[in-house]
Amino acid sequence: MTKNILKMSPAFADIIPAEYRELVDNGPYGRDVGVAELGTFKELLEEHPLCAGCGLALALRIFLASLPAPEDTIVVGSTGCSSLVFPQAAVQNIHSLFGNQNSVASGLKRALKLRFPDKDKDVIVVAGDGATADIGLDMVMHSWFRRENITTIMLDNEAYANTGGQESGMSQQGTVLYMAPKGKNFPKISMPELAREAGCVYVAVGTPAQPRKLEKMLKRAIILARHVGPTYVQIMTPCPTNYKFKNNETVNRLKGLEKDGVFKPREYITAEAQEALNRLEEVSK
Amino acid sequence: MYVAIKLDKEKCIGCKMCIFVCPEANVIAFCPKSKKVEVNEARCKGCGLCVVACPKDALSLDNN
Repeated sequence: MTKNILKMSPAFADIIPAEYRELVDNGPYGRDVGVAELGTFKELLEEHPLCAGCGLALALRIFLASLPAPEDTIVVGSTGCSSLVFPQAAVQNIHSLFGNQNSVASGLKRALKLRFPDKDKDVIVVAGDGATADIGLDMVMHSWFRRENITTIMLDNEAYANTGGQESGMSQQGTVLYMAPKGKNFPKISMPELAREAGCVYVAVGTPAQPRKLEKMLKRAIILARHVGPTYVQIMTPCPTNYKFKNNETVNRLKGLEKDGVFKPREYITAEAQEALNRLEEVSK
Repeated sequence: MYVAIKLDKEKCIGCKMCIFVCPEANVIAFCPKSKKVEVNEARCKGCGLCVVACPKDALSLDNN
């Protein structure tokens, strides 16, 4: 896609919404802008309906700012809080059935490879912890076993947040939520290690409290998915509504969890992917 | 009641910490000319994350 598709007809310029005009004039398409330049360009996201102080919204904002080529990116989403954002975001988006996101993305990536053999089209799966680790686990794992060239991003808020707060596989043991009054009985699933064993060439666990580090992880995951194989990024995004803390404590809570050792940011990369990354970084210099 | 942040321009040093913690898009913009931030109050949800992050107490929550 080129920027020409976005451009509006001059005859309709006066009735086009101001936000759209701003996006065409000052958007990130075709420009080298990232998280460091946030605030100086018009972001792809616009007035989403997520709660005030939502960690997931912060993570998605950083994700949309760190896309290497937003005009050639297709985001495949699944039911959950994350899917509420994409109708307001200026990227191509497919909303799949709950849990089917990686299967839809696999087919899409193969079709795009046939249709545009000489172009890099990034297919990125953005889903919550329920869709990735519970309901869609078989589809997610099998897309990794098949070595599909897609990036899987999990926004881990440790609960089913928009259905009232049920426990998910990613909740910590003993967590008490609105719909889990007895506390969770079994420990958190170690998804990053599962991904590493299932064949992901690059696995990272990040936090939106460190936006530049998270941007680096997301960029690496997207670039390696183009050239080497499946990649997985897990982003910790606390939920103030279901975990009952104040709206303004989201970032401090992330830092606290990291300090207490409950949450550990980590990265795994295979030798083959590291080699490809070194080669690509040398070319870009 | 509508809650939005209020910026004290005198205190702002343009460190952009508020921009990196804001979960809403396009609320806080950076002006390269004055090296300070600008707030679009109509888009703010008043979560207060930027108030906690600001090192100079330039931002405050305005309840009216």
